[in-house]
Order: sequence, then C-alpha cells, then structure tokens
Amino acid sequence: MKSVRFLRVFLCVLAAVLAVPAVLYLAGGCAKKEEKGIAVWEQMDPEEQKLLDARIAVFQKTHPDVPITRLHFETELLRTQYQTAALAGGGPALVFGPSDQIGPFSVMKLVRPLDELFGAAFFAQFIEGSLDTLDGHIYAVPDQVGNHLALAYNKKFVKRPPATSDELIAFAKQNTVDENHDGVTDRYGLVFNAVEPFWLVPFLGGFGGWVMDKNNNPTLDSPAMTKALAFVRDLRIKYRVMPTECDYQQAETLFKEGKAAMIINGPWSWGGYISAGIDVGLTPIPRMSETGLWPTPMVSSKGYSVNVNCPEKKLPIVKELVDFLTSTENQVESATKIKMLPARKAAAESLLARGDPFLETSLAQVKLGRRMPVVPEMRAIWDSMRPSYQNVLNNEITPQEAANKMQKAAVEAITKMKE
Amino acid sequence: MFLSRFTSDRRLFPYTLVLPTAIVMLIVVLYPLIYNFILAFKNMSMYHFQDSTFVGFRQFAEVFGQRELYWVFGKTVVWTVVNVFFHVTIGVTIALILNGRIYGGGIFRSLLILPWAVPQYISALTWKGMFNHEYGSVNLILMKVFHHAPIPWFSDATWAFVAPIITNVWLGFPFMMIVALGGLQSIPHELYEAADLDGAGALGKLRNVTIPLLRPILAPAVVLGTIWTFNNMNVIWLVTGGGLPADKTHILVTYIYKAAFTYYRYSYAAAFSVIVFFLLLGFVFASMRYFKITESAFE
Amino acid sequence: MKSTRITRRRSASSGARIKTIVAHVVLVCITLATLYPILQIVGISLRPADRLYSTSLRLIPEDATGHAYYSILFEKEFPLWLRNSAIVSGIVTLIGVFLAATAGYAFSRFKFVARKSGLYSLLIAQMFPATMLLLPLYVLMKGLQLLDSLGGLAIAYVVTALPFCVWTMKGYYDTIPKELEEAALIDGASYWRAFRTVVLPLAAPALAITAIFSFMAAWSEFMVARVIINTRTLYTLPLGLESLSSTFQTEWANYAAGSVLVSLPVVILFLFLNRYFVSGLTLGGVKQ
Repeated sequence: MKSVRFLRVFLCVLAAVLAVPAVLYLAGGCAKKEEKGIAVWEQMDPEEQKLLDARIAVFQKTHPDVPITRLHFETELLRTQYQTAALAGGGPALVFGPSDQIGPFSVMKLVRPLDELFGAAFFAQFIEGSLDTLDGHIYAVPDQVGNHLALAYNKKFVKRPPATSDELIAFAKQNTVDENHDGVTDRYGLVFNAVEPFWLVPFLGGFGGWVMDKNNNPTLDSPAMTKALAFVRDLRIKYRVMPTECDYQQAETLFKEGKAAMIINGPWSWGGYISAGIDVGLTPIPRMSETGLWPTPMVSSKGYSVNVNCPEKKLPIVKELVDFLTSTENQVESATKIKMLPARKAAAESLLARGDPFLETSLAQVKLGRRMPVVPEMRAIWDSMRPSYQNVLNNEITPQEAANKMQKAAVEAITKMKE
Repeated sequence: MFLSRFTSDRRLFPYTLVLPTAIVMLIVVLYPLIYNFILAFKNMSMYHFQDSTFVGFRQFAEVFGQRELYWVFGKTVVWTVVNVFFHVTIGVTIALILNGRIYGGGIFRSLLILPWAVPQYISALTWKGMFNHEYGSVNLILMKVFHHAPIPWFSDATWAFVAPIITNVWLGFPFMMIVALGGLQSIPHELYEAADLDGAGALGKLRNVTIPLLRPILAPAVVLGTIWTFNNMNVIWLVTGGGLPADKTHILVTYIYKAAFTYYRYSYAAAFSVIVFFLLLGFVFASMRYFKITESAFE
Repeated sequence: MKSTRITRRRSASSGARIKTIVAHVVLVCITLATLYPILQIVGISLRPADRLYSTSLRLIPEDATGHAYYSILFEKEFPLWLRNSAIVSGIVTLIGVFLAATAGYAFSRFKFVARKSGLYSLLIAQMFPATMLLLPLYVLMKGLQLLDSLGGLAIAYVVTALPFCVWTMKGYYDTIPKELEEAALIDGASYWRAFRTVVLPLAAPALAITAIFSFMAAWSEFMVARVIINTRTLYTLPLGLESLSSTFQTEWANYAAGSVLVSLPVVILFLFLNRYFVSGLTLGGVKQ
C-alpha cells in the first residue's frame, strides 16, 4: 500500500513538471501585458540610467496607461540579445545604443527606417554629424554625440597640457619615475588601453590615414598605419613611458591611484577620475609633431532605434517618447549633469554660451575627431587590426608587416561576412 | 489496482522511472538541436538573416578548408587534457586526505568548494589581475619570495595559455573533489581491512581498492568534465582579455563564438558546432567503451 | 566495531601520526592557495573607488569600507534577486534530484528498450557548443510562452543539470549490491518500495552530489537567464549583478561584494550536506 502512496507522489511531481508550461501558457495568453507597454533596452552608464529613469517617470505622468520599462545590458550582450529577440519576432519597442550597432541591425532588417515616421523637419534639428545614414535611411534618433577619446592629465604632475606629440613624450618621460629605486616603476607618464585598436585610431588619423575609404574598403596597409603603430610601440618599448601590459582596467587603476600622469580615455571615464580625488585636466590629444595634423579619435552618437516588430498602432506613442527623451531640454540637462555632449543644435548652442571648460574641451576634441563608420564592415576591421597591433607592441613583427597583415585579414573577413 | 502494476511489473517499472526525465529532456533539447542541424546546411548570415536558403555541405567544406583550425584543434585538446588531468588528480587527492581523520574536516571541505561557489566572471577577472606583469600578485610573489624574474603572462603566447589553465584548474578541482568525496563513501571499510590483512601498502590499496571502486562514480564526471572543458571558452576568454596576445590563445569554440557574434555567420557557426558535436560524440563512445560504464550491475 | 578498533590501533603508531601531520600540512597549504584569490575578491569589495585592480599586494586596502555590502543589501534590489534565485534553484534542486534518483535507478538495475542509447542521448545536449543553442532556446521558450518566467528558467536548468545527475546516480547505484533489494523483493515488497526503502538511503552521498550540482547549475548561471528573463523584477542574482556593470564603468566594489554574498548560500548548503561526505556514516557494513 505504501508503494502506491509513493507512486502517487511520483505521479504528482510528474504532473507538476508537465503542468508548469501548460499553466504558464494559459496565464501568458490571458495577460498579454506586453501588448500595451513600451520596453526600452539600453547599455547606458550608471549615471545615464538614473537620468533616464527620472525622464521615464516624468513621461508616465502624462501617459499613465502606457507602462514603460527600462532594461539594462552590457553593450555586446545588448546586441546579441536584441538580435535573438527580434529575429524571433519579439524584443523591445526601442533599443538604445551606439551608432555602430545599427549597421548590422539595419542590414538584418531588425530596426525600422525612421525618415518617414519622424520626417525631415525633425531631423533638421540635429547636428549634422550626429545622424548616420545607411542606404539613404536614418535608423536612430541620437541623444548624444561623443565616445571620443581625449587626453586627461593629473594636474599634480603635469602643469600645462602638452601642445605637440613631442611634448607629450617629453612630459611622459619626466613622469615615468621609480621614486624609491626598487626597480618597480612607481609612476608612468602615459597610460591607455593598449589592447584595443580603438585607442590606436587617433594616431592613425594624426599621420594622415584612416581605416576605410568611401566605398567601405579597408585601407589599413598605409604609411600612416605603419607610423602610428611605430609611435605607440615606441611609447612602450623605446621611451618606456607605458607599462608593458596595459589593458583598460590597468590604465584606469593606475590613473585613479595617482600612479599615472596622463591617460587617454573617453567621456564615460572622466567623472570617475574626479570622484577618485584626482585633480584632472582635459585636453585634445596633442598635434603630431611630424605631420602637424591633429589626432582623430572616432566620434559616434548614441540613440534610440525602433524595432521592426513594434506594431503600427504603437508607433505614435513610441515617437512621442523618443522625441521627449531626446528633447533639447533633456540634452542640456545631460550635458550639465554628466558632461554628455548634445546632438541637438539648440542644446549645443545654449551650452556653448555657458562656458564649461570640460564641455568646451570635449566639444573641441569632437570637432577634431572623425565619424566612426557605422557599416558592419567596421567589426571585421577591428577584429583584423587587434592581433597584429598586439604583435607590434610585443615587438614580434615590424609595423610594416603588421599593416600588411591587417589589410589582408580585413579583406578576407569582409568577404566572408558578405557571403 | 491499475497503478500498482507500474511498481510491481518488472517490465513496466523502469519505464515509469525514466519517463519524466525523457519527457523533460525531449521537450527542451530536441528542438534547439534540430534547429542547429538544419541551420548548418543553410546560408544564414548578416546579409541572409531572414531569407536564408539551403546550400548543402558548403559551410562544412569551409570549416575543413581552414588550415589554422587543425592547429587550434590541437591546442584545444591540450587545454582539455591538462585541465581535466589536474582537476581529477587534485580533486581526488584532496578527497582522499579529507576522507581520513582530519580535524576540522567540515571546515576544510566547505572552504575548498569556494572556487566553485563564487561567480566565475569575477574570479576570472581577479585572476587576470593577479597575472599582471608588474603589479599582479603572482609575479610579485615570484619576485619577492622565489627571486624569480617576472613572467610576461600576456605578452608571451605560451604563458598566456598557461595563465587561463591555472585559473581553470583552480575553478574546476572542487567539483571533482566533491564527486570523489561522495564516491569514496561507497567503498566499504572491510575491503581496506582485507587489503591490510593481505599486506598491501598504501599504493596497493589505492590501485586495487580505491580506484576501481571510485570508477563507476568518477568516470561519468570525467567524461562530462572533458566535454565541458572542451566547450568552455569563458575562462580563457576572460583571463586573456579575448585572445591576448594577438589572438594566440583561442580554442575551437572561440571560433564558433566569433563567427556567430562578430561576423554574424550563423550557418557557418552551426556547421562548426555540428563538427565539434560529432568529435565529442566519438570521444564519448570511445571512452564509454573503455571505462565500460554503461554496463549495469545486473547484466 | 572491528573497523574502529583497527583505526584506533593504527593511529596510535608513530608512522600513522606522521602521516596525519603531513596530511594536515598539505591540506592547510592547498586551502591557503585556494583561498588567496577569494581574499582578493573580498579585497576588491572593500575598495572605496571603482577599481578592479590595485597596484599593492595588500589584501585589505588601506581605505577599506563596507559600503558596497551596505549598498547592495539595503539600497539595491538584492533581496528580490535573492528570492528569485532561491525559487529557481530550489525548484531545480528538487526536480533534479528526484528525476535523477529515479531515472538513474532504472539505468542501473533494469534492462529495457533503448537503455544504452538513452544513457548516451542524455549527454547529447552537453556536447553541442552552448552559445549556438541560445537562439533556438529563445524561439522554443517563446513558443511555449515560457519567456520571462522563473518556471521556464527552471526547466532549462533542470535539463542542463540532469545528464550529470542521472549518470552520477547510476554510477553510485552500480556500487550497491543487488542482493539487498532482492531480499526485500522476496519479502513481498514492490519494486518501488525496495528502491525507496532499501537502495535510496544507501545512495545518500550521491544524492548530496546531485543536489549540490543541480543547485549550482541554477544558482550562478548567467547566459540562459539573460535570454529567458527580460523583466527586472524576475532577475536572478547573476543577472542582477550583471546589471551593475556597464561596458566601461562597472561598480566593481559592488560587483565583488555581490559575488561574495552570492557564494555564501552555496557554502551554507554545503555545510548542511557535509555529513553525507563523512566517512563511516554510510552503512558500509551491510555491503558484502
């Protein structure tokens, strides 16, 4: 008899296992909570997230019947998760991210062209360089321009910003010191993420080169690339002003601990230096002494794109929300609170009138920079540059060889990608 | 009684036991697998994301056509063998020590599972920091305690491969330790006593009693551990910062990940996965036959 | 009785004493080496600024603060994540142990159609690179209306945990002599009863392994959770921790503190299961 009782328990568990999907199926079918609301997936920095939450709260006051939910992802995850969800016919109504993710999204037809929905008059309010077009269409409404690298320096060690690359090297040399003579360098002159080629690109431009031509073909095998590679290699091997192994976290740690005099990093990081107690100054990456050209960090915008799966009847409210989130007023607020550069003309003008030194330098650096290509080919180019760049920094191949290898790898990768 | 037939009928009872597991597994496993097998014969990529067509064995041909992959395959085998070897030897050794009379055994056991308990992401990044050339504690200890020159962990391709292996050995031995600890409980004391009477030494007891009796429970863990290690790229990816130096620390699954998520070549990645799948399937068949672990005690 | 006498006699001899001392020394060394990286993580969690790395060897930073723990436990949604993780891991552990205990027994003791192929096919999902299974898993879960539900997540985890669990249970049952149940069967017990009352109690160590493995499969998993759960209120601990990070700015102290807190329940669970791993508690005497 006892055995029958246990069998019943057993069958109950079995039934429970099978019932869960069934119950949830019914529950899900009845509720359909997502039908009404708008979901936003983003990859913002913590401070930006707080501002967004506040703005959503304001919007909810006038639109209480449309629940808006925000969901945070890390950049790479946002891209893959959105692809997965959108391909399966789901996903959020709005996806917020850097402009380079809309390249693949538009090719895969996962985001909707916005020209018609918003109209030309709407986009005319934005700074020209903040809008990216792919196949003649605009796929994102930007709320900021930026992502540009600039030179931050610790005023305790560097009294005035270097004006040329020669001065940059000289200042860096002065500040690379072993104070207690124990054989370990106590302070480095210059640090930056020397793993990712994103930090190499400013110098590539400084020697007059670029990553691709007008037709999106890679142009990595150039004299400019060879010189840029040699320049960074020399910082590390010849002048020894950089640590031998310097990735992003290492550079951040050294600068925040006051163990590095200068760092090349982007707008997302500057606030952190101030809160770490560093007396930090900001300047554009100095002009290259050899060419007289300014280095060209990549500039990109971030903005909101609309999911292709977003139903027609939701579009008006989605449009209203995007318009509100990227409004002049809100962009001015982001700029004053978290030093984010605005994408609207009106916002930029009102800010310039105020004279904030950080924003001014930041804006100056943006003007010296170049637009980051949003086409999908860019991913292949990054991936092709990385290994050879690292080889040069470890002094395993010459800059010339590296430039050659990068180009070959990039051409091959792009061909495969386009299959 | 209708129900009691299932518990008293020798032919029906095993099906009753296996059915729920089979149903759950079928629902969730079959669909994703079939999906990928179909994908492997198509041309789904960024430009054919929503309109892919069948292209036969083209993707497979492309995988096999890549010369450098044979080298990467060799490296993957080394990565797997070295890791599993240390997982098992360290895990079993500690389990044997802990199985003896140890003061505070419970505390040791609980402390030693910590590498398994802490989320992998943070521990992998912490190890990465510990391997830093100048400031990492590994090199500082090497220099100050052993007066050894610092090792360029991430500039040298060999060391950059050793670093994630050390990390992964640390991450993985607690699992084997627990399995071995559990397995040791199935060995009756009488067998050791009998071996004592036969005059067997410690090594003899290990070889003739412990290892054979640990086998039924350890063998599945080793086989599965091998599969997991072969397909685990998280650790190597995080510790080497995505392939430092110069993409020299990749294993096979990294290529799949890159193809799918950097280059959007979904079908190529699926074909590659199918090949990895059959490689591992072959390994499983061979090792099962070798260990004879599917054989039941009642056969 | 006999066995305790022998151990006592042996531990009295000087050779055995040296052995015991060596064992303790080795164990302490291994434990210290194992704990060092953990202490590093604790160190990160005590750092005031968002620094992942430090240039000093000190484990406890000079300016140590417990602020990260405070802010996680009281200001963030930590309790909610903890609850979700506990629900999911609890369900997975219960179902995992139950299914593995029963299926493993069938595979160990009975002959039936597709026994061998069943054992093999359990492993199939593990052999396929996991990243490629995420997209179809999402499609499947969407079809089953299981997206954004802890139940759906639990089912996915049960499936990842089961292969190892079933195999382990089967392996352990294999070491238990069949004569034990045969005696019970002769006494008129049903198969189920013989299994339940005779075999299952003897397999306690294997059940403990199965339990901790199932629990871990759900407790710290991230990728599958990321695909299935898209609502903040349903986040599990790993998802919650990840939401503290962004591409370049991660609140490392909070992240490390969260990780330390996440690992505590595992240690507690293990302390609870500890007695099943202690030699001598199993009925070794009954086995011949």
